[in-house]
Amino acid sequence: MPSQAATFTTPVAEAPLRTRYGPAWRLALATFAVLVALLGLTLGASWIWGVGLWGIDIPNVWGFDLTNYAWWIGIANGSSLFAAILVLRRHSLRTAVNRFAEAVALAAAICAGLFPIIHLGRPNLFYWMFPYPATYEVWPQFRSPLTWDFWGILTHVIVTGLLWYVGLIPDLATLRDRARRPVVARIYGLLALGWRNSVRHWSYHQAAHRMVAISMLPLLTMMQSIVALEFATTLVPDWHETRLPLHFVATGLVQGFAVVLLVAALLRWGLSLERHIDDQDLDLLGKVVLAGALMSAYLYAGEILLSALGGPSERAATLHRIFGEYGVFFWVGAALSVLTPQVLWWKRARLSIGVAVAVGLAVSAGIWFDRYSIVVGGVQYDYLPSLSRGYAPTLVESGLLVGTVGLFVVLLLLFARYLPVVSMFEERHDEHEDAA
Amino acid sequence: MTDALHGVMAEFDDPGGLEEAVAAAKRDGYTRLDAFSPFPLPRIAAELGARPAAIPWVALLTGLIGGAIQYAAQYWLNVVDYPINVGGRPLHSWPAFIPATLIVAVLWTGVATLLVMLVILRLPRLNHPVFAATGFERASEDRFFLLILASDPRFDPGRARTFLDGLGSRSVQEVPACG
Repeated sequence: MPSQAATFTTPVAEAPLRTRYGPAWRLALATFAVLVALLGLTLGASWIWGVGLWGIDIPNVWGFDLTNYAWWIGIANGSSLFAAILVLRRHSLRTAVNRFAEAVALAAAICAGLFPIIHLGRPNLFYWMFPYPATYEVWPQFRSPLTWDFWGILTHVIVTGLLWYVGLIPDLATLRDRARRPVVARIYGLLALGWRNSVRHWSYHQAAHRMVAISMLPLLTMMQSIVALEFATTLVPDWHETRLPLHFVATGLVQGFAVVLLVAALLRWGLSLERHIDDQDLDLLGKVVLAGALMSAYLYAGEILLSALGGPSERAATLHRIFGEYGVFFWVGAALSVLTPQVLWWKRARLSIGVAVAVGLAVSAGIWFDRYSIVVGGVQYDYLPSLSRGYAPTLVESGLLVGTVGLFVVLLLLFARYLPVVSMFEERHDEHEDAA
Repeated sequence: MTDALHGVMAEFDDPGGLEEAVAAAKRDGYTRLDAFSPFPLPRIAAELGARPAAIPWVALLTGLIGGAIQYAAQYWLNVVDYPINVGGRPLHSWPAFIPATLIVAVLWTGVATLLVMLVILRLPRLNHPVFAATGFERASEDRFFLLILASDPRFDPGRARTFLDGLGSRSVQEVPACG
């Protein structure tokens, strides 16, 4: 019998085992490594000289830092949610998309985690957030949202990493078994934790994988809600709103879906995985992004309506955010995240790699503008007129944003190089079930 | 001779062959069996005594314990041991304690589920006798293996070989105890 399983495993497994990976990959890695160096430089400078290097001031105490934090968390959450739902629904799309949706989530969560830590001003003392018996005999103040962030990011990075790693263990074993050089086999073997494909092991592994996926679901809504509640617990008129968690969760999910679409299109093109990430997968992903964009449109409309129904100061604050000095960020954000995905109504557009990349980038950029509009535009109108002051980022802050984009891409490039980008055992399983 | 063996292993082309072999071995009275496959086979796993239904209970229980510990810690640290008056707000501001409680419950669930899985599976380990079997690396690709362990009370190398030979396997081999 010709082995179908082997024909499915080989192209995915051979990619990480290749000794050479082509000049395009090396060029991309070198380019984005420069941005990582920039990140190191700006992080180091912020660490040594403190946040005085940033453009932040009263009332703009958050500026770029929280904008970028909320933006990365959105990408992390959207792609994790997508991966978790696919695992739970055992959807056929999961074999194609799951693995790298989780990788995207992990890389984005790592980027997100940098911002609150560096924003502390004394990042090396971040562990003060943890209740450990200090010699000063003081404890953290748990009524402060700052501590929610600590637990939130810690949990997000660890649990996202676990979901990804648990799903990866059997595929690491496959790479170990196929590796030609003993040292490579040894490295993958250590990472595979001695997995030996025992049928008994498989059943516990599947149960654990699904359990970690289920625990992701509440985590994701809580994570974005915590970010939003940090805004809502302040007394700033535009932020002190219960709609904020919904806005952050929902628009963040669209952004995550869009980034998954973007990475799916790039991986399919870059690694010639047409067979694994097929037209139907891209079609479905496009529809998900489109549905998410419609949900965003609804939320934007609701936001304007609710503030119109609110008290005079909320109304004035929101009007100021939408039409004031920083209003352009609101409109550009809404247009990019709601209008550009409308092109996905056409099937031809959904199947086009170019459109997928363009929509993915547009929605991500749009949500960044939206977060900037909330963080900076939101504090322009306060109860005290003397508090109204503009904000512009310094070079160091911009360097942090560009640098984390570099870190994100480098992490994904390393992932695509050294790990199987598509879940091989799930493909074998599906193949077997289709044949049965 | 018997104590130097880990077991006797048969190789199959497809999961159907493996499933029949597992059923036949159980009918024959073998109790200490293991099967290897490139993807999950829940029916065979149940036949071999896997009880993965325990995992969700572990997850639920550890989640509840983690959440309870987190809430209790916040209460004790901020209300009892180190009370700070912030603008006259109540010390036991329970809504502010909820986000970290829920999040840490998830953290416990995720970490405990993985750790308990590893404990149940006796992983990680650096080596295992089955890796010495010829062609075993294809267990992670497209081949299926049935192993009768030497620790089985009915085990006899010659008899196990003959038995596995009669099941329509591709090949049968003895797996030495230490590789």
